[in-house]
Amino acid sequence: MNEIILSGRGVVKHFAGLTATDNVDFDIPAGSIYGLIGPNGAGKSTLFNLITGYYDLTGGEIRFKGTSLAGIPTYRRNQMGIARAFQISKPFPALTVRENIRVGAIFGRPEKVDHEKVVDEALAITGIADIADRTAEGLTVGTLRKLEIARAIATRPSLLLADEPCAGLNPTETQEMVNCLRNVRGKGITVWLVEHDMKAVTSICDRILVIDAGRKIAEGTPAEVVSNPNVITAYLGAPIEEPAA
Amino acid sequence: MLFLQTTLNGLVLGGIYSLAAVGFSLVFGVLGIVNLTHGIFVVAGAYAAMVLYAKLGMDPLLAMLPIGALLFAVGYAYQRTVIQWAISRASLVASLVVTFGVAMIGRNLLQLVFGPDTHTITPSYSFSSLTFGPLQIDVVRLVALGASLVLLVLLALILLKTHFGRAIRATAQQPLAAQLSGLNVRNLHGLTFGLGAALAGTSGAIIGIVQPFSAASEVAWTLNAFIVVVLGGIGSPAGALVGGLLLGLINAYTAQYIGPSLTQAAMFLVLVVMLMVRPNGLLGNAFGESR
Amino acid sequence: MNRSLALLLGLAAIVVIAVLPVWIGPFYTRVAQLFFFSAALAIAWNILGGFSGYWSFGHTVFIGMGAFAAAHFVTQIGPIGSGPFSMVLPILFAGLLCGLFALVIAYPILRLRGIYFAIAMLGVGQVIGELVNNIRWFQGGVGVFLAAPAPGGMPPEDFFYYIFAALLVACLIISVVVRNSRFGYALLAVREDEDTAMMLGVATERYKILAFVLSATLVGILGAVYGYSVGYFTTYTVFRLDFSLNMIVFCLIGGIGTLFGPVIGTAVMLFLTQVLLSRFLDIHLLITGALVVAIILLVPGGILGALKQKFAGRAAVRKSVEA
Repeated sequence: MNEIILSGRGVVKHFAGLTATDNVDFDIPAGSIYGLIGPNGAGKSTLFNLITGYYDLTGGEIRFKGTSLAGIPTYRRNQMGIARAFQISKPFPALTVRENIRVGAIFGRPEKVDHEKVVDEALAITGIADIADRTAEGLTVGTLRKLEIARAIATRPSLLLADEPCAGLNPTETQEMVNCLRNVRGKGITVWLVEHDMKAVTSICDRILVIDAGRKIAEGTPAEVVSNPNVITAYLGAPIEEPAA
Repeated sequence: MLFLQTTLNGLVLGGIYSLAAVGFSLVFGVLGIVNLTHGIFVVAGAYAAMVLYAKLGMDPLLAMLPIGALLFAVGYAYQRTVIQWAISRASLVASLVVTFGVAMIGRNLLQLVFGPDTHTITPSYSFSSLTFGPLQIDVVRLVALGASLVLLVLLALILLKTHFGRAIRATAQQPLAAQLSGLNVRNLHGLTFGLGAALAGTSGAIIGIVQPFSAASEVAWTLNAFIVVVLGGIGSPAGALVGGLLLGLINAYTAQYIGPSLTQAAMFLVLVVMLMVRPNGLLGNAFGESR
Repeated sequence: MNRSLALLLGLAAIVVIAVLPVWIGPFYTRVAQLFFFSAALAIAWNILGGFSGYWSFGHTVFIGMGAFAAAHFVTQIGPIGSGPFSMVLPILFAGLLCGLFALVIAYPILRLRGIYFAIAMLGVGQVIGELVNNIRWFQGGVGVFLAAPAPGGMPPEDFFYYIFAALLVACLIISVVVRNSRFGYALLAVREDEDTAMMLGVATERYKILAFVLSATLVGILGAVYGYSVGYFTTYTVFRLDFSLNMIVFCLIGGIGTLFGPVIGTAVMLFLTQVLLSRFLDIHLLITGALVVAIILLVPGGILGALKQKFAGRAAVRKSVEA
């Protein structure tokens, strides 16, 4: 595939003696859907927090479109084109769905655009236009996840970090989310996806990075990764079922 | 020598601050509620001790028992009704405002009954003092310090050793898990709040013999409790002791070396600085989880 | 509501406000003056506390600072200009000083959240009050004079009635403009979830500081005018816990974070305490406290919140009937 949108070299993060991220390298090609998997506590969310600037790096370097992110505050990184959808949906509960997304549209990438058009497009991509005027409080988990994605892409990013968007969803909702992420990529947005649902990951990711205990243990296409012995022992602890051929 | 005497005064004062704050700290740590009614409990305890002493001649130290029992009941009922309603209908922040409203009611009632003037309780040993070489200490203050320490140790033992104490700590850390493992969390919250109120009331009885008090001093006692918690950390008797002693020292040194009128300012300055440097207090949150 | 109707209503309100003192006499003019002052304070508090969710429990610090700044400006530099216009520079100076002070403490103090911010502000209020009271140069203990230069023939209560009315309108306009701007949206996002807001490109730090400074400046200006209106004041006339608390309570009762909630809440509370219950001075605190508790328990969203809910409920019913 084409050029690298996000790269990490020797990324390290310590928390008071604990090494959450241990010398990880990565290269995310623009336009791909990239997977990030690993057992619970492997450091997936920490890695995302390092990329968005919620945590500072202990060592190493992360570059976005060739620019080092060191010292750049979170909100600036978003304006540069990095968006994130949280695993635990964090909508603004008192605001309507439309208003939630509008916040992203107003404050995202600084450029002259019609905010309402951006909002409408985000509603369409995620398929939640019908509930645009309901307040975010009391929406179902599946809908909240879509709102989370919609709000993130309303900032007009070139990279979307999606943290377990399918966790806790039923099979129908999972399928909808997979389609939704495909739509997002269809808009030219690179997607980096953390997901536990192996079926979802292997079905949409071009390549997958596997980490365990903060370390990179494998990288490759879904087929390569699921047959990698390191992954099988570290990630699953036991041989896995053959992926659907 | 002046420095030693000042330090001694500060430590004695600090012991009382500790006891006056530990109930606030417990409620904050376990229920997550900043109880702005706390100062009312303290002052009400002082008034109750005053009445018991004046009418029945009961010594304030002895009066701590009935006062503690009474305020325990009041605190329990208060938590199970007003505060519980506020949290379930509105939010945890709303409980802050509700306790503030109740504090205004309580203050007004106390003023109606006892008038706006300051009072003191003067048992027979009020004016005697002990001398250790060049150092001097009032008997009342020594008694107050001793009673405070005894109560703090008792509380620590309750939290560490009894089933009730373990249940409280479990509830503070994982309310949901505690509920799932069969604890009646609502009842425990009520009991914790009652315990907090009882401790505040007993501290009031002690404060009554050491310092002048009035209905209006409730604000100061609530704020002192907050400062103690910020200094020492939330939810533990040890934290309250550390925070209280520090506050006592700050108070005594400021009064001695800077000016007695600036003690409040110094205490708050330390509070603000402390909040910025270490929001979890010197000892951190006793229950580990940040809120 | 269309624009011309709003304009008409606004004009009508101005006319009513202008002629009111003639009808209602000095006592109620003073009550109305207190209402304008308190409502303007509540609005200024609401810009920070209501929009961005940072509840300050110590906003009285800006009233006190503003009043003392104006008084010392006059004694140090002397009145500039004549008559009512001599108030302009001291008041602007007061606003500026409060804004600057807020800017200086903003960065550290706004890192605190929720209850911690609230209490830290309470602490700031106490510390500054004590300093003003105890450092001789400020003369907080003995008090300072700030002569009210009412134009010839006009009773001072009428004069300050008009000034506070104008300030209330100004604060209201500022609040409306803020709420409907990008700035207002940023504050809402901060209130709802600060970390998420950051992730959506909102420069949370900058907007919080801006709201804090704006709120402090407005309160400082109001405090300076208040100083003029009382003429002579000590520390405890202007650094008052109940000022801080009233701002919160008025907003809470009317509807926190709404545009007109602070005004409605102030009107309701002052009507109850100053008019209906003015004879029961010794239980004012009790009544206020009981009202606060009742509001939280019965209508947590304040009066405007309750109305909105009722309205929304009806709309929903209508929808379901139509469907």
